[in-house]
Amino acid sequence: MWDTARMDVKRVVDVIRVDPAQPGGRTPVEKAPDPELGTAVIPAERYYSEAFMKLEWERVWTKVWLLGGRADDIPEPGDYICTEIGKESVLIVRQADGSLRCFPNVCLHRGNRLRPEGIGKATEFRCMYHHWTYGLDGKIERLPDLCTFPQGGPPGMTLTSLPCTEWNSFVWFSLNPAVEPFDDFIAPLKDHLEPYHPERMAWVRDVTVEWDCNWKASVDAFNETYHVQGIHPQLLWYLDDVNVQIDCYERHNRYLIPFATISPRVAMPSQIPPAIDEIMRKAGMDPADYEGRVSDIRRDVQRFKRAHGQAQGKDYSELNDDQLTDDYHYMIFPNVALNVHADDILMFRQRPHATDPNKMLYDVWVFELVPEGEPWPERVKHRRFKHGDRSIGQVLDQDAFNLPTVQLGMRSDSFPGLWIGEQELRIRHFHKVLDDYLYGPGGKGPDDI
Amino acid sequence: MDLGLQGKKAIVIGGARGIGYAVAEILAREGCDIALSARGEDSVKDAVAALSRYGTTVVGKAVNVKRADEYRDWLAWAIEALEGVDVLIPLSSAAGGIGSERYWTNSFETGVLGVVRAIEAVIPTMTEQQRGAIVLVASTSALEAMGGPQAYNAMKASLITYGKQLALAHGKDGIRVNVVSPGPIEFEGGNWDMIKGTMEKFYLAQLRQQPSGRLGRPEEVARAIVFLASEAASWCNGSHLVVDGGFTNRTHF
Repeated sequence: MWDTARMDVKRVVDVIRVDPAQPGGRTPVEKAPDPELGTAVIPAERYYSEAFMKLEWERVWTKVWLLGGRADDIPEPGDYICTEIGKESVLIVRQADGSLRCFPNVCLHRGNRLRPEGIGKATEFRCMYHHWTYGLDGKIERLPDLCTFPQGGPPGMTLTSLPCTEWNSFVWFSLNPAVEPFDDFIAPLKDHLEPYHPERMAWVRDVTVEWDCNWKASVDAFNETYHVQGIHPQLLWYLDDVNVQIDCYERHNRYLIPFATISPRVAMPSQIPPAIDEIMRKAGMDPADYEGRVSDIRRDVQRFKRAHGQAQGKDYSELNDDQLTDDYHYMIFPNVALNVHADDILMFRQRPHATDPNKMLYDVWVFELVPEGEPWPERVKHRRFKHGDRSIGQVLDQDAFNLPTVQLGMRSDSFPGLWIGEQELRIRHFHKVLDDYLYGPGGKGPDDI
Repeated sequence: MDLGLQGKKAIVIGGARGIGYAVAEILAREGCDIALSARGEDSVKDAVAALSRYGTTVVGKAVNVKRADEYRDWLAWAIEALEGVDVLIPLSSAAGGIGSERYWTNSFETGVLGVVRAIEAVIPTMTEQQRGAIVLVASTSALEAMGGPQAYNAMKASLITYGKQLALAHGKDGIRVNVVSPGPIEFEGGNWDMIKGTMEKFYLAQLRQQPSGRLGRPEEVARAIVFLASEAASWCNGSHLVVDGGFTNRTHF
């Protein structure tokens, strides 16, 4: 842990945190020992090399579990999610018995895609080209003029089944038929994330933006709080970017950021900052009525939510007090970043472009807790656009703004790679996990990038 | 020009930060004994410690001006600790805000009653000694649009009226009452410091409205306040001085 007193701060803040021995709630809070990952430069070539992109495809994207979508988008038999990863597209389909199956979204005849990306409802999947027709279980139900194929139909007359599963209201799939059990892959995050009960939260935002950068530039951007003082100065009156706990696990990692508080980088104001005012209002407090100091607000919001959550139809019983205000930020390898909060989840799925290492797909998914007794809101429509075409909110616009110039700079002969500090330990950890997939555990050689 | 403040006794309500602290500092430098208040224990201690270097008597205690009894006790304590009072600068002020009726009660209790109670506490002593100077601090937001219609602006306006009428009533007893209305003032930890960080566009719009292209500093307002509180301003009574670097659009006839 860095020395907060020697950083560029105005104050030293001793953050009140829940006791790791008795946090209350199920999510573990103890600090994981920091891995020894050295101080080497992370080669910039990883961000633009087509050879490296190919290696990632062969050893990561086609090997690991991947986030497919929300389970509540496909509650009924025939409901499906069609989602893309790189050059592949899959169909995740709710079966008659309530289980899920996943198939490559490709007709076995001439390779046509069966469905466009998105969610939908089907009784069968009929290829538009020659009307080869597949059941919800992937079996070919109709192959027009089968008698004209002397070799018969494709093997087994069925689409290949790919591994898929449902966890914590999300659906997951893998392009790897021999993928490890999902529970092994996601460990130890089940205890961390289940207490948030995402199944009680509804879609409020579903956006995909084509960003002009490598997918890892985006992963990196959300894996450290060091950039707050750079590109999000307004958040210094909203969160503590200095007193951040980083925990690196086997593959995944997280950091815990106090929210509803003032960064040690700025002077303590006497008036309540606008964004903290909003946190108080959302909790049901009247900021005009608040008699305490600004530095006490975080703890008082926690107490207020604990006392009034139930009456508001919000069950916080499995969460600890810090979780009622703070940002527990998780990174599920390789490409999911989640800001989990008691009342909402703001998450990003960061997908590689099918062919260009200098581009990616940035999915923003936001869910909000629906208080008990309130009607479930209508699902928001998915929107898709290109980098910079539309605002995605002040903070994310700030994040997005300089990524294209980061990507351009990566390609400079004068830039060997990323010069990473302790506050960016998660970036180093992510790249180490990536290395272990690409080159075998500990197998990265001196000539490997 | 001699301000004639040497040896005078001054009470500054809200004297731990911003304009209030700058006022207390100039008064201390000019040789005044000072009693100051703020809501936070720590900030009072820091301010007292910092001001003590000028060699006059500086005392302070935390108090919430909304608690009438405690505040009255504080004021009595301050007058006693200073063995009198020649100057009163009550700067207590509540945060602005729109939407909740509580902003009105807060602004009234802190920004108006916090001032009224202090004045009522010092008037007997000042009347008895036939000498005293009070400076109220209003705001240019009482004069022109600022942040939408809100209690803060309206309550600040009431101080301008009240100040003038106090001057008329107590002039015969040698007590002068004047009002200063500062424009936006920026200092570390102040409201405009936060607005600069959190609402940059709004902040920049204020800068554009300032002929000099910057916001004011606490000491630039404090010097005007201290002048009006001093013997050098002996013929200023019932005046209202706008100190805003030219921020307001209207002509102050």
